[in-house]
Amino acid sequence: MTASDCVLRTDGLGKRYRRTWALRDCTLALPTGRVIALVGPNGAGKSTLLRLTVGLLAPTTGTVEVLGESPTTNTPQVLSRVGFLAQDHPLYRHFTVADLLRFGRSCNLRFDQGLAERRLSQLGIPLDRKAGALSGGQQSQVALALALAKRPDLLVLDEPMASLDPVARLEFLQVLMGAVAADGITVLFSSHVVPELERVCDHLVLLNHSRVTLAGDIETLLTEHRLLVGPRTTTDLDRAGTVVEATHSDRQTTLLVRDGGAPTAPHWQAHPIGLEDLVLAYLRRPAPHGAALPVDVAEVPA
Amino acid sequence: MMWLTWRQHRAEAIILGVLVAATGVTLLALGLPMHSLFPEGAARCAGLQPGVADACSTAVSRLWEEHGYASKMLSLFNLLPFVIGAFLGAPLLARELESGTWQLAWTQAVPRMRWLAVKVAVLAALTGALAVVLTTFITWYRQPLDALDGRFAADAFDLEGLAPAAYALFAFAAATCAGTLLRRSLPALATALAAYIAVRFVVAGWLRPHYQTPRILTEGVAAGDPTIDVAGRMQTGDHLDWILATGYADSAERHLTLPEVYEMDVAARRDGVDLSAYMHDQGVQQWVEYHPADRFWTFQIIEAAIFVTLAAALLILVALRIKRRTF
Repeated sequence: MTASDCVLRTDGLGKRYRRTWALRDCTLALPTGRVIALVGPNGAGKSTLLRLTVGLLAPTTGTVEVLGESPTTNTPQVLSRVGFLAQDHPLYRHFTVADLLRFGRSCNLRFDQGLAERRLSQLGIPLDRKAGALSGGQQSQVALALALAKRPDLLVLDEPMASLDPVARLEFLQVLMGAVAADGITVLFSSHVVPELERVCDHLVLLNHSRVTLAGDIETLLTEHRLLVGPRTTTDLDRAGTVVEATHSDRQTTLLVRDGGAPTAPHWQAHPIGLEDLVLAYLRRPAPHGAALPVDVAEVPA
Repeated sequence: MMWLTWRQHRAEAIILGVLVAATGVTLLALGLPMHSLFPEGAARCAGLQPGVADACSTAVSRLWEEHGYASKMLSLFNLLPFVIGAFLGAPLLARELESGTWQLAWTQAVPRMRWLAVKVAVLAALTGALAVVLTTFITWYRQPLDALDGRFAADAFDLEGLAPAAYALFAFAAATCAGTLLRRSLPALATALAAYIAVRFVVAGWLRPHYQTPRILTEGVAAGDPTIDVAGRMQTGDHLDWILATGYADSAERHLTLPEVYEMDVAARRDGVDLSAYMHDQGVQQWVEYHPADRFWTFQIIEAAIFVTLAAALLILVALRIKRRTF
């Protein structure tokens, strides 16, 4: 991937709060024009990575580059190219929706007020209502409209749907995907709900125990991984170093392997794996010890 | 940004504006009858002992009878600069950090240091302006009292000149800083109040008398001087001066302790003579340590400089904290 088609590039990125690392050794290169999901359990460092991306946090170690520039410089140019929707979509509660749009206009280089007003009127959100009086779903729509009206090249969303009911979730995704289709913006959003990602995302970054454990194009990841089911065996399974996870029932052993579809051994059957199972398998792996990330040691019987 | 600052802080600004206006109206209502006691100005009556000029002595005694509460009321006004500054400063950052909106504010195209600079500049200017208006009201109200008592008393010096605006700026900076560290408006207000009271007490009680070297007047005790008693009541000749201490010294110019003066009083009674006569025989001198009244503005400038410097230091701390991006 060259620098020009890279929306976010991190190198050895780390962030420490006092004595605990929220994010460590994060090296990533994310492509433009994609919808990228950042997945991980609570406390995995998702918010930290996103805040580093939009320049709200400064890294403890390593570098981060967004659209070819460092967000830590905090210049109006960098800031105006990135839209951010923080967790729980914070808004000034005592501002009316119109006040919030005026806030957006007065604090941005380019702000498409007409676009925002159209989006909000389509959703039936009155401009003269105070933000605090809106429902959670409406608040998230207002926050999204504010972020989209910046006409950003990259839109970063931190758990945008975590606090929404299923109907509001669907509406939110529809608006988001409509904007992606219309403007071709790159979207990076975090979530711990896997099923809803499958429909909208084409790139995945998995964060666990403050480290990146898996990153790549979702289709590619799904073809690289497969499940092998065979007779129960507990010896020497990981000769090739490709086993991600091994589970054993009374008679069978199931292996999740990342071998890109090598020939299957006799008595073993290969099955494709779904995104949710793949994510869960990686999330189940225990925290690595030591500095380097051990790739394939988890739960493989010796 | 100007619009945003106004929109976010207009509620506090309006409330404080109303508070200052109401204070002004109250002082006007209370002050007019007080001013009317001295149709030709209170300065004419200044320094006169009661009974010297009839009109003046009536006016002065009516002043103490009808407006004697002024001093107590004014000492409450010491909190007004705090209220002005802290109510604008505490929410500045605490409210953003409390509600998560800092993430909204600092991801627009305004760099956070500019955001901070505009907000601090606008709100500090508003703090200063409100404090100056308040000071103007109080200074007008106190005109007769100032002419009679001078401007160095605690209920005058702390409420006139440059000091209240500097106090307000300090309260603003302290509340802003506390809000940044504590991330909550109310604890920030409480912390700022504690800091405000502590610093005001230290400065007024310990530092202020030493802004300049006090002057000392010494003169021998005259036999038969009616003002002589054990406490020592020497005057400087200008009743507007700030008298720090008075006392007696022996012929070797050593200051006498209170027990020593009491011993003299006992000895004088035993000898059946007046204390002043006894002291005169002993060669005792009386002294007064004071700051002349014309040092008022020098002292005001020094006092204001102390508080403005403290405010600047606290605001630099805030800026460093925001710049480090550790939230």
